Amino acid sequence: MLIKTKNFGEREIDEDKIITFEDGIPGFYKNKRFITFTESEEEICLIWWLQSVDDGDLAFPLLNTFAVIENYNPEVDESLLEKLGKFEPSDLIVCNILVVPEDMMNMTTNLKAPIIINSKTRKGMQIIVNNSEYEIRHNVYQEIKRYNEKAGE
Amino acid sequence: MLALTRKKGDSIIIGDNIELIVLDIQGDQVRIGIDAPRNIAVHRKEIYDQIQQENKTAAISSQSAVTILEKLIKNKK
Repeated sequence: MLIKTKNFGEREIDEDKIITFEDGIPGFYKNKRFITFTESEEEICLIWWLQSVDDGDLAFPLLNTFAVIENYNPEVDESLLEKLGKFEPSDLIVCNILVVPEDMMNMTTNLKAPIIINSKTRKGMQIIVNNSEYEIRHNVYQEIKRYNEKAGE
Repeated sequence: MLALTRKKGDSIIIGDNIELIVLDIQGDQVRIGIDAPRNIAVHRKEIYDQIQQENKTAAISSQSAVTILEKLIKNKK
């Protein structure tokens, strides 16, 4: 199906790839259908986009957090993940919403509430973790810069 | 909104399986116990509100983010 997006123009999407967020995400509980894609051609993708299928204006940049914060260890009560359907740990994609202000040095990611997607059932949710050490606004600019420098070697 | 007045030790049941218990009252602080199934998330409202707000900020800045992120990714080459 064809969707019209504000940031990426018209995109042809495969309906089988649509991810359902049964409760939407906080602040956007009505948006339940999303699609992910990347603009990057790299083998390891650092940033994805979570684009709403039904609202072309709504999209979130997602960070592949484990690539830049290797010891990211979100702790969540497994029962809260029941809504995602059955999964093996390797079926889960964990990433974090990125906030990118005009000055990219102030780029932050929400480590406190990752986005978790079950790649088998194509269901997703945003979940608040138990860890007290993770912030809603974690400045991630240095970590991304370091990752780029390493990747450029 | 339903408003109920409770004393220490009183409870409120929501639906079939969520119970709020007034455990203690000290001055202007109320200690509330929440008994809910483990597959239901329970959080202080401030956290939930902050996350909502942060999501809205991420969504609003997404248009400029496209160009900024392109630059960031290209810079590494």
